[in-house]
Formats: sequence, structure tokens, C-alpha cells
Amino acid sequence: MLEGLLVDLVPYGKRFLDQEHRWHNSEAWFWATAGEWVIVSRDAINRYRAEEAERRAERHNIPSVYFGIQTKDGKPLGDIAMNWVLPYHRLAMLGACISEPEYWGGGYGTDALLLILDYAFNWLDMHKIWLGTMDINERVKRQMIKVGFVLEARERSFHMVDGHGWVDGLLYGMLRDEWPGREAMINKLGLKART
Amino acid sequence: MIEGKLVDLVPFEDDYATYLESWMNEEAWFRAHLWERREPHTEDMVKKFIEKMEKNERGALIGFQAKNGDPIGCVIFDHEWSRVRKADVTVVVGDTRYEGTDEALDGLLMLLRYCFETRSLHRVDAVALTFDEVKFDMYERAGFAHEGTLRQHIRYDGDYVDIEMFGLLEDEWPGYETITEKLGLQPSGLEPKPKLEKKDDKDGAKDNDKK
Amino acid sequence: MLLHGLLVDLVPFTREFHEEKMHTFWNNESRWWATMGDNQPVTRAEIKRMNEERIQGHERGYTGIHFMMRARDGNIIGSAGLNWLDYWNRYGMLGSWIGEPDYWSGGHGTDALLLLAEYAFNWYDLRRLILFTMGPNIRAQRNVERCGFKLEARQRDGGYAGGEWVTSLAYGMLREEWQGRETLVEQFNLRERAEKRYGALD
Repeated sequence: MLEGLLVDLVPYGKRFLDQEHRWHNSEAWFWATAGEWVIVSRDAINRYRAEEAERRAERHNIPSVYFGIQTKDGKPLGDIAMNWVLPYHRLAMLGACISEPEYWGGGYGTDALLLILDYAFNWLDMHKIWLGTMDINERVKRQMIKVGFVLEARERSFHMVDGHGWVDGLLYGMLRDEWPGREAMINKLGLKART
Repeated sequence: MIEGKLVDLVPFEDDYATYLESWMNEEAWFRAHLWERREPHTEDMVKKFIEKMEKNERGALIGFQAKNGDPIGCVIFDHEWSRVRKADVTVVVGDTRYEGTDEALDGLLMLLRYCFETRSLHRVDAVALTFDEVKFDMYERAGFAHEGTLRQHIRYDGDYVDIEMFGLLEDEWPGYETITEKLGLQPSGLEPKPKLEKKDDKDGAKDNDKK
Repeated sequence: MLLHGLLVDLVPFTREFHEEKMHTFWNNESRWWATMGDNQPVTRAEIKRMNEERIQGHERGYTGIHFMMRARDGNIIGSAGLNWLDYWNRYGMLGSWIGEPDYWSGGHGTDALLLLAEYAFNWYDLRRLILFTMGPNIRAQRNVERCGFKLEARQRDGGYAGGEWVTSLAYGMLREEWQGRETLVEQFNLRERAEKRYGALD
């Protein structure tokens, strides 16, 4: 378990899987999938899980690291993962979703992000962390600037987003040398535990 | 066969499978597969790759050759994603003599023609190592826009190097006929490689090795 | 070609290696040196099974990378590679095996070792390389020491070879201790030796 101030990162187990039907049919999933239509049956979710497990088994030498995000009192909030790790390039791509919208804007995602960056750089010795989002995701764009990621590429007209048409894709990166450490980031952002 | 101006697209069979055994171990292959590990590809792995692509419903492996029938390389179309009408595409100039020639460029243009005029894609992505000027030139001539630089992205021969990102949209594609006319493609005039010896008689080949 | 050397090239394995050469190499004296004293006979069926297991291993995430060693005269003379690659701790374990005794002491193993070390440091950004050999293998010790490996551990009676207990030697080289392939090629006169044996280099 990676212990943060507002959240802990824990194995993505049954407590999280049980939420997926609700989560995947919510607005949160629309943002996490870059504009996917969100009506999914339980069967479809189970099938997706099985396929995902198979894909992972097939992609040998490409591990992924998957965490559930939960509040300090244990309520599942979503997931954060290095879902595409190329260890021979010391490169990992992040993906995350706070699936409970009432927790948006409260620093929970940022706390989780700091934890996984610390883990990626200090434990897995990654050289670079990168991630992609869509241009209309203002919350993520603000978070990227705050945490110190660099906007590296704008892929024009990359996502077809329900209700928005074609939207640019943005790629952000952070090099190991640019990571000031979790403590420094917590101080800089004024992140505090809540009681 | 689909005929282009300087090259033709052909099924990936016969000599191509044999050529791929060396192409998959050449610099051009690894530069076209930046995300993959730079490791030796054995005959078995090459065979498996061809089989995988033949069964691949979201992709295709296609050979391209000069007008005199000389195999140049392959174009790879993969991970077609119908919702956003996108695919990952790659041109591998296996025969290194053709690097930077208009035949190589025409291979890319024929691939784009397939993407936009057959598959009706919305967007095609391309990547190149930051020092690979031959590739930049090829993408630029084909009409790609430079969309960004992924800093120190992958490990390459003793250093971390940048990757340049390119993109081309369907409404920027003027059509194969128009663009080839505008570019005025010129054949390189390279002599064709000598034909490969037949390899289908496995036991016979083995006996030859023993002699 | 992936790793182009002076006396040898490190290339992908061919069917000929797996179906013919392996059987020879696993049943001659070379195996004894390369495996710290194994010498029981191996059948073709066992070789086939080993090769199948190897392919499955790769599918299950085995990270090693192996090359076939081909001398400049075109003969397949052995294999070399990273037997283990630990990305998280960023070390690699080297191994090499010249199965044709006629090619021993000719610089082929050194050439292969230099290619491999450069490959490992340059493409995988490793922190350190390690390798193992046994006390009686004086040739290997001389070879790896002059390439910059340091003896880090001697495991007393670490192996049983040819009817006696032998010391197992663990060698390591840190990245900053690696002088680079070019420097060592010069230092060992490898170019000269290659030309003497195989004629002018291209």
C-alpha cells in the first residue's frame, strides 16, 4: 500500500471490481476513455476484464502496474496505473480515473498522482513518465501544469468525443530529473490531510 | 497487385517471407518499431509475425516492389480503431539501397492511399527518431504536419533520444493522383537484386548445407 | 545486422543451430567449461524439448536475449547473450559458449564479450553486468578480467565438476568501469588478430 495524505493506493481487488458497473456507466468513464459512449452491461464489463487479462498475458515483457485509489477511510474512488511500461526504455505511461465525481477537484487525484510518480521514479527507477489526455479535459490540463509536466505534443483531431466532435490529443511528459520528490511537491501544492 | 506510380503493392508471400528474415534484423526495422526491444529476430519469430499479421483483422502486412519487380520492403497497417478511424502505420524500407528514394516515398503514399481512400481513416500518425532526417523528409513530402517532440523518450545506442511526432488528417490528403503529380516522383534506376534461390524444398536445402 | 564484430558476428539463431549445432555443443568438452561441469549426454529429443521450453519461456516473460555466434569464416561456433536481464535493478547477466574447440583462444570470445557489454549498456541502460565462471576455467577468468570485470565473490565448493569440488567465481562490472568497446578493441589488437586469421576487414 502506498499511503498518501488524502488517499491510499492499494491492490485493485474485488471491492473495486464491484464498483465497475456503476463507474463505467458514469460521466467519469467518459473522461477516462476520451469520449466513449457510456452504456455498458455487466457482462460486457466481465468480458472486458477477461480480455484485458489475456492481453496482458500476451504482451510478454511489458508489465503493467495497477492500483486502486481509496480514501483514508477505505472508500474506493477509482484507479491509477502505469498501464504501458517499457522497462527496457525505462518509460511508463500513466492512466487514471477518479470515478466518483463528488471527489473531483478535492486534490484526491493529485495526491494519487504524486504517490505513483514517487513510486515510478524511486522504486522502479523510470527515466520518464508520460500520459495523454484530450484537449477539452481542463481539469487534467490544470493538474499537469501544477505538477510540472511538460506539454510535448498536440495530436490534431485525435479523439472523437461524444458531443464535441473531433478533439486534439495532448501528450505530457516528465523526466526523472524534473521530479522534485513527493515531499517538495506536497509543500509546493500545499496538500494537507483532512481530519 | 495494386499499381502505384513507382511501386506496386503485392501480397506478402514467396520471397518476401525470406527477405523479412534479414529485414527484421536491420536498422530500418528497429527504427520503425521504436517501442520494441532491440533483440535478434529468429526465423521462428519472423514466421510467427507473418502468421499473426495474416490472422489480424485490424491490420495488414503488405509487400511493395519496384516496377521491375524488385522487392523493396513492406508496409504495415495495424491496430485499426474504428471509433476514431485511426490506425498505426509503418513503412519499412528493407532493402537499404532504397532509403531516401522516391520508391520509398511512393510506398508511404500507397499506404496513405490505402488508409484514406480504402479504409476511410480520419487520421494517420507517424513517428521518427530526432536525427532521422531521411524519414522527416519523407513525411514532409507526403504532407504530414509536425505535431510535437517527445523528449528523451527512448533509449537508443547509449543515450535517450527525442521522438518527433507527425500527423496527417483526411482533409489534408489531396488524393494519390494529385499528390504524386505534384511531387513528380522520379525512379531511382537501381538494379534489381538477384532472384533468391527456391527455399521450399527444405530437405534438399539441408543436404546442400552439409556438402 | 545487429552486432557486427571483428572475429565474430552475433546474429539471430538459425534452425541449423537448434537442430544440429546444439546437439554437438551439448555433447562435447565445451559444455563442461560453459556450464561448470555438466557432461551427461543429451539426446536430440531432449534438445528439441529444451528449445520448445525456451520459446514458451519467452512467451511467459523471460527477459533474456541470446545470440548465435558466427565466425568470420561463416561457421556457427557458439552462442552468447544476456541470460538474465533485471530491468528493475538494472543489471544483466552475461553468458557465452564457444562450442567449437578449434576457435578457443583466438579472440572470438573476447570479441563477443565486447559486443555484448556495449549492447547491454547502450541499449538497456544497465547499471551493472555480472557473470559467473568456475575456478578451473582460467581462460574465462583472464578474458573477463582484462575486459574490466572485477572478481566480487568466491563461493568455495560452489560447484561439482569432473569429480571434484570447484570454486564458483562471481564477476561484476559497473557502468563507469566499462571503457567502451573501441578502447578495448585497440588495447587487445583485435583488428590485427582478425586480419591475421581471416584476411583484410571490409
